[in-house]
Amino acid sequence: MPDLTIAASVNGRRVSKSAKPHQRLLDFLRDNLNLTGSKEGCGAGECGSCSVFVDGVLIKSCLVPVAKAQGADIETVEGLARSGELSVLQKAFHKTGASQCGYCIPGMVMAATAAIRANPFVGNEEIKERLGGNICRCTGYQKIFEAVELARDVLNGRLAATALAEDEQEDGRFIGANVRRLDAPSKVSGALKYAGDMVMLGMLHMAVLRSPHAHARIVSIDASEAEAMPGVEGVITCADVPGEDGFGVYVHDQPIMARGKVRYVGEAVAAVAAQDEVTARRACASIKVHYEPLLAVFDPEAAMRPGAPVLHDYAPDNLTKHIPIRVGDVAQGFADSDLIVEESYSTQQVEHAYLEPEAGLAYVDHDGVVTIVSPSQNITHHRHMLSRIIARPINKVRFIMSPVGGGFGGKEDMIYQGMLALMAMKTRAPVRLVFTREESIIATAKRHPSRTTLKMGLSRGGRIRAVEMKMICDGGAYGLSTEGVVRKAAILAAGPYAVPNVKIDTYGVYTNNTPSGAFRSFGALQAQFATESHLDICAEQLGLDPFEIRRINAMRDGATSHTKQRLKSVSYLRALDVAEQASRWEKGAPTARGDVRGDLGGDGTRAPCALGARFDDGTTPKSQSEVA
Amino acid sequence: MLLCDEYLTPATLDEAFDAMARTAGRHRIVAGATDTLPWAREGRAGDVHVPVLIDVAKIPELRERSVDERRVRIGAATPIQRFLDDPALARALPCMPRCAVWFADDQIRESATIGGNIVNASPAADGTPGLIAHEAHVELAKRQGGGITRRRVKLDQFVTGPGRTALEPGELLVAIECDALPGYGGSFEKVGHRRSLVISLVCLAALVKLDAAGRAFEDVRLAIAGIGPVPKRLADVEAFLRSHPVSAERLEQAADMPVELVASRTRQGYRREVVRGFMLRGLINAVQRAGADPAVLPRALEAAYA
Repeated sequence: MPDLTIAASVNGRRVSKSAKPHQRLLDFLRDNLNLTGSKEGCGAGECGSCSVFVDGVLIKSCLVPVAKAQGADIETVEGLARSGELSVLQKAFHKTGASQCGYCIPGMVMAATAAIRANPFVGNEEIKERLGGNICRCTGYQKIFEAVELARDVLNGRLAATALAEDEQEDGRFIGANVRRLDAPSKVSGALKYAGDMVMLGMLHMAVLRSPHAHARIVSIDASEAEAMPGVEGVITCADVPGEDGFGVYVHDQPIMARGKVRYVGEAVAAVAAQDEVTARRACASIKVHYEPLLAVFDPEAAMRPGAPVLHDYAPDNLTKHIPIRVGDVAQGFADSDLIVEESYSTQQVEHAYLEPEAGLAYVDHDGVVTIVSPSQNITHHRHMLSRIIARPINKVRFIMSPVGGGFGGKEDMIYQGMLALMAMKTRAPVRLVFTREESIIATAKRHPSRTTLKMGLSRGGRIRAVEMKMICDGGAYGLSTEGVVRKAAILAAGPYAVPNVKIDTYGVYTNNTPSGAFRSFGALQAQFATESHLDICAEQLGLDPFEIRRINAMRDGATSHTKQRLKSVSYLRALDVAEQASRWEKGAPTARGDVRGDLGGDGTRAPCALGARFDDGTTPKSQSEVA
Repeated sequence: MLLCDEYLTPATLDEAFDAMARTAGRHRIVAGATDTLPWAREGRAGDVHVPVLIDVAKIPELRERSVDERRVRIGAATPIQRFLDDPALARALPCMPRCAVWFADDQIRESATIGGNIVNASPAADGTPGLIAHEAHVELAKRQGGGITRRRVKLDQFVTGPGRTALEPGELLVAIECDALPGYGGSFEKVGHRRSLVISLVCLAALVKLDAAGRAFEDVRLAIAGIGPVPKRLADVEAFLRSHPVSAERLEQAADMPVELVASRTRQGYRREVVRGFMLRGLINAVQRAGADPAVLPRALEAAYA
């Protein structure tokens, strides 16, 4: 069927290029014109990383069939700084530090540009509304809003252009100073290349076939149809692994692709490389895998019981790791207590939701070095593991860390780099894999869901005499970072408090859920959620102020932690003072709730979000001509 | 991924019907495409191959709109954003700007069309209840013999179930016609997980006309979506309020009336609570915007709900 010829103006230049009828405007810009400043974060119009102007109107280019751009005037982020000088708004993003990982930033810059073009005096609430379709995972938006307000005021003349200049800095002083990010210009201009933006001559596109089963034996894999498909250059399964298969941050229990059985929905089973993405996906869909479903276990406590389905032969009890800590004598501590409080707490699975889905590019270079470019957060460890897996000496394996479009711990696992390496070795061609958002969610690690029981004994005056905690973390199907997470949880479980008697047991457990892995705070969050919630409950029962109960028990300079670490200085008391002051905390036991409290609302607290900044008197919207 | 062999962009209604006839059984109609593209992804329809996509969004007749003091006619391919930024539309359809500002986000509203929103027939469609409250009819066109025949269907009868409409094979939704209600106070209430890009759990459109003193209901229009398979006009509640003085008691009673209609498949208890709250908030907001005498409703009630 006929390709389309798209004739349009892109950033002021006439282009006339062939396009496939199914392509979206985003694909046309990125793949056909190599304008990779517009990113794909979700492909479903949710994130705004792909925002561009079409005939002066901001739209999401992942939701626009390319045929709609016929004859249009298109402006992308690359068009904003055409002269080489950053636009006022881009400079403002640089000044306020609004770009962190940078992946959402081209879209953010476009949406902010649209807001200021629509209304040069756009107010803060309207800025939030107009940026509502763009998601940032790093900044918490505050710096982005500051940047838009700064640019607005420079552009409308309320501020001089000098407001965009770098702040004067005291010599040698960095803490507390506004230090400019070196990589910001490349991010605000869309020039920075993430792994999914990179191309090489003759590059193949990879697609991955994933398990629909949580637990199943793989009886057979028939890829003959895929192999025979025109355009397909290679198919790989675990059978292509030449060395000792297995990766993980602590225990190397995960094969590059499922070996013998699958252990979670979304696990990689086979992969195809083809000359184009569509062929790779079609070929993948044609692979026939015969599964024999096995009994699965989804509850970590059920997985710990005798007779539960076993995931890994090496761990017949489904235990990834148990960390016990014993200090003093908890039985005596409870006997000496005036109040004993026992509660249970749970936290849920959380997706990292970085804006950049996983992507990588692999090739075997002229010296036979297997090279993987990817936003890996742990390249040296990956290099060592891969060397063993592909049975090549370490000097023949190279990892290049591409800019990480958000990680938060979620890119520490070598979840796809092994497949890329195998495929590059097999096809002798550069191979690129770009996850879809759905693939990123289904296949990659999550925050460990946890269940904690916590028993605390205290004196009438609020001093903690004993802590007994048991935490069970659902590690999912593979080990990844679980061992470290449950260890960190145990180390930090009793909090920054001097407790004489401590009994802590944390467990990481295999289940047929999506694997859990590293995620900001690495186990501390789950333990602190229990301990800090518990202290509030204890304060209430003892009639103590929650800040006070913490001060009574806080570790001081020179304290020894319950894992015998000597702490030269402890800043906890100072942090408490600052938090108490900033929150305008009303002193007393936390027994009063609701409107009677004087410390709710006020400066520094946010009103609930609403819409309607564009309605002038509450009944009619301002017209475009009025705001323009 | 949505795959197609051919993407057609007819320039006229005739060309569209030609294309539809030539590719009968092999095509899908798109307008804004903002629902079609996310539909063809993992977790929903997956990779979909549609031989021919016919894009009707550029047909001039589908983009026209006309407004007078009594009636409004909107081409089916009108982007949702026009309800927010076209002053003539906003004046004639007082609840629609409120609806538009909650609809997806500024960017998607520039692509997404009102016709697409209606034809998709999602039980949570944001655009439909407001138009139902405006007594909307849809105009459906079809090629018959050598010419084009048209029929009109009331919007609340056009949507027959989740994803189902009275659209017949070969028919296109070309326009929406509804009452112009300048001077009415309008409101649109919606609850979801966040401000932008959120699918309604419940949404409610309210229109209120008061007497000259701003103390009694002259007319009330209410429609609700998200609580059952199709959006619903609340005629009994309208009748209960019409010609009565505005009072807290009457509003509270009216707010209880549709609670029993909640027949959604999930979260019924929650939706019942929301419906009652929305009835109050929607009516109070509409009453205020209709120019109510400030003394007519207790401050505390307004503060609690509006």
